[in-house]
This record gives sequence, C-alpha cells and structure tokens, in this order.
Amino acid sequence: MEPETTPSFHERFVELFDAHFQSVYRYLNRLSGDPELAADVAQEAFIKLYQRGSLPDAPEAWVISVAMNLFRNAATTRSRRLRLLTPARGEGVLSDPPPAPDAAVEAEASRRRVRSALDRMPERERHMLLLRAEGLSYREIAQALLMNPTSVGVLLARARRAFRKIYEESPDAP
Amino acid sequence: MHLEEEQVQRLLHGELTAQAESDARKHVAGCIECRRRLAEAEREENELHALLRAVDDPAPPRISAEAVAARAQAGAAAGPGVGDLAWLRRAAAILVVVGIAGAAYAVPGSPIRKWVHAIVQKLGGRPGPTPGPAPGDSTAIGAGISVLPEQKLLILFQSAKGDGQIFVSLTDDPEVQVHAPTGAAAFTSSAGQLLIDVQDPSATFEVEIPRSAPWVEIQTGTGQVFLKEGDRVTTKGSKDAVGGYLFRLAPPEK
Repeated sequence: MEPETTPSFHERFVELFDAHFQSVYRYLNRLSGDPELAADVAQEAFIKLYQRGSLPDAPEAWVISVAMNLFRNAATTRSRRLRLLTPARGEGVLSDPPPAPDAAVEAEASRRRVRSALDRMPERERHMLLLRAEGLSYREIAQALLMNPTSVGVLLARARRAFRKIYEESPDAP
Repeated sequence: MHLEEEQVQRLLHGELTAQAESDARKHVAGCIECRRRLAEAEREENELHALLRAVDDPAPPRISAEAVAARAQAGAAAGPGVGDLAWLRRAAAILVVVGIAGAAYAVPGSPIRKWVHAIVQKLGGRPGPTPGPAPGDSTAIGAGISVLPEQKLLILFQSAKGDGQIFVSLTDDPEVQVHAPTGAAAFTSSAGQLLIDVQDPSATFEVEIPRSAPWVEIQTGTGQVFLKEGDRVTTKGSKDAVGGYLFRLAPPEK
C-alpha cells in the first residue's frame, strides 16, 4: 500500500485555479464590462496568490479581495477607463430607429440594459450581488467588503431589489 | 411571529446553522406569509442570476494554471503586473506632458511662460496679471494642464464637435487636471477659468477634480454638463463602473 502524499502547494494552487479562475474572471467582467481588463486582473490576482507561497484560510475570498484592489487600481488608468463607460442616459437609444426584432439585437439590448443597471448601482451593493452570484458565502462577502457579517442577508435582499428597480427604470426598457 | 428578513435570506442561501435551518423550515411549513416571502426571495434571486448572464462574454479566456504559475515564478522578469502597468502608463503620460510643456515654455512668445509666471506670482501671494486665452500655441496630442481650483473654476470646452468624450473623476489630489490622452487641444488658464480649445472631433479628455474643490463647473457644446458645489455633484452624464462620469463633448448628430 502506497503512503498518502500531501499535495504540494503547486498542486493545490492548480486545483484552486481550475476551480475558481472562471468565477473570478466572470465576477470582474460583470463588474467592469471589460473582458480584457477582467482577464488581466484575474490572472494578476492568482499570480499574487502563487507568489504568496501558501494558501490562505479562505482562498477564493482572498483572491477576490486582491482582485478588487487590483481592479480599483487598474480602473483608474486612463486607457482602461475609456472602455468601462456606458452611453449617457437615453443617448442614442431614443433617437435610433426601433431595432429589428431578431435574437441578436434583443440579446445586445438586454446586455446593455443589465450593464447600465449594474453601472448605476451603489458600489457596495453591486459587489455584494456579483460576489453572491459567484457563490461566495456571507462570511466571505463580509470579509471581502469589510462589513458586518450579521446583516449580509438583509443587505443582499436590498441590493437585489435596488438592482431590479434600476433595471426596470432603465431608459433601455421596452 | 414571522421569520426576520435576515433569516429568510439565510434560509434561501443555506447560511443558517443546522438547528436554525431546521427550526426555520418547520416555521415556514406552517406559515403562509413566510412561505410567500421565501418563494419571493427565491424568485428574485433566480431572476437576477438570469439577468446577470446577459452581460457574460460567451467565450471566457483560456488561461492555464501552469502559465500563471510560471509567470508568478518568473516574478519581475515576466514583466510588470496590472498595477505596475497602470503606474508606468501614468508615469509615461506625465513625462510626455512635462516634455511638451517644457518645449512649449521654451518657444519664444509662448503663453506657457505667462501662466507659469502667473502661478508663481499667485503662490508668492502677489496678484499678477492673468493671461488671456491664447489658443493654438499649446496644442499637442496627449497634452494637459493642472491648476489649483481656488474658490470657483469653470472648465470650458470650446469648438466641441464630433463624438469626443470627457471622463470626469473626483480625486484626493489638490489640483484640477485636464488631459487629452487622444486628440489635440489647446489649454489656456486664466483666473477662475480653464479654456480647452478642442481641435480634434474625436478627442477624449480626462478631468480630475479634487474632492476638496469648493465649486467646479464644466461646460461643453451642450452647455453645463457637470457642477460640483461642495460635496454635491449635479451632472448630465452617466456614471461609469469606477464611480466617474462620462459626457459627450457635443450633442449627438441626428
């Protein structure tokens, strides 16, 4: 019978990366609307985890926290900022002719409307919704956002309702 | 006695302890109101997740753990990270602006000399002559200007046409900074006013306004688009993903 070997840090990192990279990327992409920035920041966060040399207690929350900080820094760069923005309220949408009712146009309209609603949400509520959507626990959300864990549920419910309201009031609404 | 909102949410998300969950489920089984609230929360959650999928990109990047580990091991040799790149870009932009400003200062008759002298005099507490607009001489791609906002500052974008844009952010720096990372423009400052003569229809501008500035107004071809009075901001623009504001330089063409 072969002795059980403890996985090396590298093996544990690979496992963690494979399990969570897409989730971190998706969170950042939803946050920014910029796939390139999201991929860059997600990679950088995992690089920092690897360079740490050991896994923290809550690795996914740790990576998300690092990614949030990297995102904030990266998002202040001028060239990146240009891609993070959404059209001004009502601009173009009202003056354009009604789009042809095909699936691609509808999907793009839906995407724009959700993006616009996310961009208009208060920062903390936006983070809460997106983190929860990636399956982070209340404790992990509280850790990442430096908030009291006992009220995460109530705040999440408020954030969901706020999103819904902004979404329904969107100028892109049919 | 109904479940509290926090309990409903925790029940939905599996965040209660085993005993608390068991108690909550027993209560829900016998309480129409709490059953309704739980179902409503679940419906909202499912709806939200379906909507969020609309902004996902269909093909997320294929990046391997091994490649990321290799980059991490290579460390600095693998090149700068996201934050480092941001810093380098910022440093490069500052160097370009300083270089352009230096060259403009050296040109005989340059208005930059007047502005520098006016600023020096202001810093020295002596009232100095405020130079009038002198468009043209300071034109440069990637150029910019920094001014102290004092009590009131009007930032006026002139000759705005086309589809250029302005990005405004609030900062903790003491100075108002306006840059044109793309496109050419001439910058002129006078007492309480910053004039930007837009010379490229697709120019983009970045305006950084100190949070401490008491009163800053931005006007474009569409009139007033931004006003900061103390902590209060009134804007016609949209808010971006990082808490800044976006405006068009000119009204959209019909």
